[in-house]
Amino acid sequence: MRSKNVVYLILILGLLSVLNLTYAQDAPEVSEKGKEVYEESCAHCHGTEGRGDGSAAENLLPKPRDFTRGLYKIRSTESGQLPTDQDLFDIITEGMPGSSMPGWETSLSANDRWEVVAYIKTFYDGFKESETPPRQISLEGKIPYSEESVEIGKGLYTQFACFECHGQVGRGDGTSAPTLQDEWGFQSWPANLAQGWNFRGGNDIDDIYKRFIGGIAGSAMPMFEDPAFGLTIEQSIRYNELDNKVEMTEAEEEEYNQLDEKMGNAFEILDLMAEGSANEEQKQSYATAMKAFYEKSWHLANYVKSLSSEKRPEPAIGKNVLRSQYTESDLPQMMDAAWNTLDSSYFPLVGQIIIEPRQFNPTIDSVNAKSFYNDTEVAFLFTWDDRTNNTEVEENEDTGKTFEDAIAIQFPVKIPKGPTAEKPYFLWGGRKAVYLWQWKASAVDKITELTAKGINNAEEQEVQGNIEAKGEYTDGQYRLWVKRTLKTDDKKDLQLEPGVFVPIAFSAWDGANGDVGTKRVISSWYSFVLEPVPSSRRFIYPPLVALLSFGLLVGLREFVRQRNT
Amino acid sequence: MKRVSLFTICFAIFIACWVFLRFVIGSVISVPIPSSVISMYMGLVLIAILVHVSVEDSRFREFIRPIHETLVDENRKNRRIILAVLIPLLLLGYTYTNIAQKANPAGDPRVAHPVPPSEFKLTYKDKVIGTMQEVENPHRHLEKDKPEEFKSHVENGRRVYYDNCFYCHGDHLDGQGHFAHGLIPLPANFQDPGIIPNFQEAFFFWRISKGGPGLPPAGTPWNSAMPVWEEVLTEDEIWDVILFLSQYTGHSYRTFGEGH
Repeated sequence: MRSKNVVYLILILGLLSVLNLTYAQDAPEVSEKGKEVYEESCAHCHGTEGRGDGSAAENLLPKPRDFTRGLYKIRSTESGQLPTDQDLFDIITEGMPGSSMPGWETSLSANDRWEVVAYIKTFYDGFKESETPPRQISLEGKIPYSEESVEIGKGLYTQFACFECHGQVGRGDGTSAPTLQDEWGFQSWPANLAQGWNFRGGNDIDDIYKRFIGGIAGSAMPMFEDPAFGLTIEQSIRYNELDNKVEMTEAEEEEYNQLDEKMGNAFEILDLMAEGSANEEQKQSYATAMKAFYEKSWHLANYVKSLSSEKRPEPAIGKNVLRSQYTESDLPQMMDAAWNTLDSSYFPLVGQIIIEPRQFNPTIDSVNAKSFYNDTEVAFLFTWDDRTNNTEVEENEDTGKTFEDAIAIQFPVKIPKGPTAEKPYFLWGGRKAVYLWQWKASAVDKITELTAKGINNAEEQEVQGNIEAKGEYTDGQYRLWVKRTLKTDDKKDLQLEPGVFVPIAFSAWDGANGDVGTKRVISSWYSFVLEPVPSSRRFIYPPLVALLSFGLLVGLREFVRQRNT
Repeated sequence: MKRVSLFTICFAIFIACWVFLRFVIGSVISVPIPSSVISMYMGLVLIAILVHVSVEDSRFREFIRPIHETLVDENRKNRRIILAVLIPLLLLGYTYTNIAQKANPAGDPRVAHPVPPSEFKLTYKDKVIGTMQEVENPHRHLEKDKPEEFKSHVENGRRVYYDNCFYCHGDHLDGQGHFAHGLIPLPANFQDPGIIPNFQEAFFFWRISKGGPGLPPAGTPWNSAMPVWEEVLTEDEIWDVILFLSQYTGHSYRTFGEGH
């Protein structure tokens, strides 16, 4: 009986949650409870007056939302509209990835979250004044994800000049990236589209589409505009093609002018629509133009989706540990295709907030690594995304003071024997020393060996050698190739041998983010291993075991038979 | 109806035990049982079965009859051939996967909350506050004596927490701050009922003021990202944030005298 009840309960709860999804709820009347919850859980970042100026706000970027301006980034509503109550509720519930806003589902009841929604709306009068509910973005006409759609989206990405901020391949490294500011004058880094797990509003295709249509209010991407408004996708592509031609034939020139005129008309109608003075025919052509715009946006959303993995990759621990692959031949150079045969190991990086000066708002998400070794040498390929290539200390009006980009790869000098043995302190050593490879963006072919006994206590080794490096910056990503001999004569160097797990850690500096000295991003200790060549024993022992067991079975049968007779 | 043989029953029990240990328990406690533990239990099951069947002579004979038949009986030829192929093949696969397996690094056998030595002196920077057993939170008594003043200390603790701690320990004090994904070991989860109720406030003062580097070797001080907070926070701020932790989570710290 009881299990039946449970089944009913689950059915009812399921039904309720479905209803909850389909019918967006409205917030209750403002109550004391909402204020109480807000002051207990939200005010330390968003401020008691809702200005986004709580005591913790100083060290946060993106800044906590200022509720007094009515500008909300993540909405299901059209550009220029306020969010729905459900939008606010969803953000509180799920949080915003890549920012310091967590989801509150576990610590606040649904009721409390609704009370908070009602309360934060009181900070902006616009909510009271608006009589009609905000216009929601329609997801009608969604174009399913496909290779073709991604290809079209890729073309539109260039045509719409998304690269100016988001970079050629989407790593947020566009030329204007370092200068972008939000409505409040704070730095507003364009999203790295290759790291979808950091998208504030989620990285479902629908989420991405809503960001295009609704814009990200208050940020440097307030609204997404179609520069080829009024043209169909085919016409847009054609227009772009012609636009890039050095010389056009007469026919092409005519075609180009026609398209140009069509766009001009569409923009005029857009203005008439805004004034409310468009006639029926104009309304019709506006509707057609908007339909094409929505289609383009779906293709773009599919393209953006294609640039990133669904979730943050698994960190390089346990079975994902960095395994250096044995090869009999020479180790691959930086750009060799051989690297593509290996999987990357992912090392998450976070701000260094242990020793002053600290980095509370890191811009480098992670380092990826691959490795090969042979009988005498080991080679690593490290890659990490950085929106800007800073090769020197600079003082600039737009971007302020910037420093040099760099990375340091850290190992212990002596490999601790066994998991209980003492390692050096993970932050550049302490009582026990660490051995470091430091590379800077100003000298891409140079790598320096350091010994450190603390974050402020590092020195260059007197003997440099047995090691070479090559670095490069392309499309928002550093690629660093390092090769060293497995053994060296220097006592301060790490000595490597196959099959031994070696602790490894990283420090990285994004000069455009003010990283210098202790202000940097860091990782915990991970490990890597020169993966031993699979032993040939695996071809000898198993058949032996099989043969032996067969023999035993036959022997057993013979023994039993003998005894029977 | 044909009677199920004793051997089949024993064999079925053996397999059922293995499935239970390997899959059922694992999914209930949502962590798979280590294979060495499973082997140990399966050894016990095997011994129990053998004891059961060998208590009586007749029972033992009944037990080995199917084995005997399979080995020599002319009617059982097909089964014999199948088993003679299958058993060596299974063993071949088993040995191969065991040998070809890639080694993973050993996990850190870290003691998450190492016990400080019993005669331990609690200090702030170099100033001795007292021994671990006798030191109490100097603001705790206000909870009864002056509730308003107590409240302002908790509020100050809240400010300290959100200005310094929430990056790692999280908005919800659950150890899931926005930097937590990059840290090994993970930051402490104060919502865990096994944390605050098991330690005195003095213990928390020690862990906060001395941070990771102050841990004894069992706590792997070299891996901990916990800063040495006495370099940043005042003594009062540390005591206040300790008040805030229990106030927010609703957990009470352990005090001496109760359930030692």
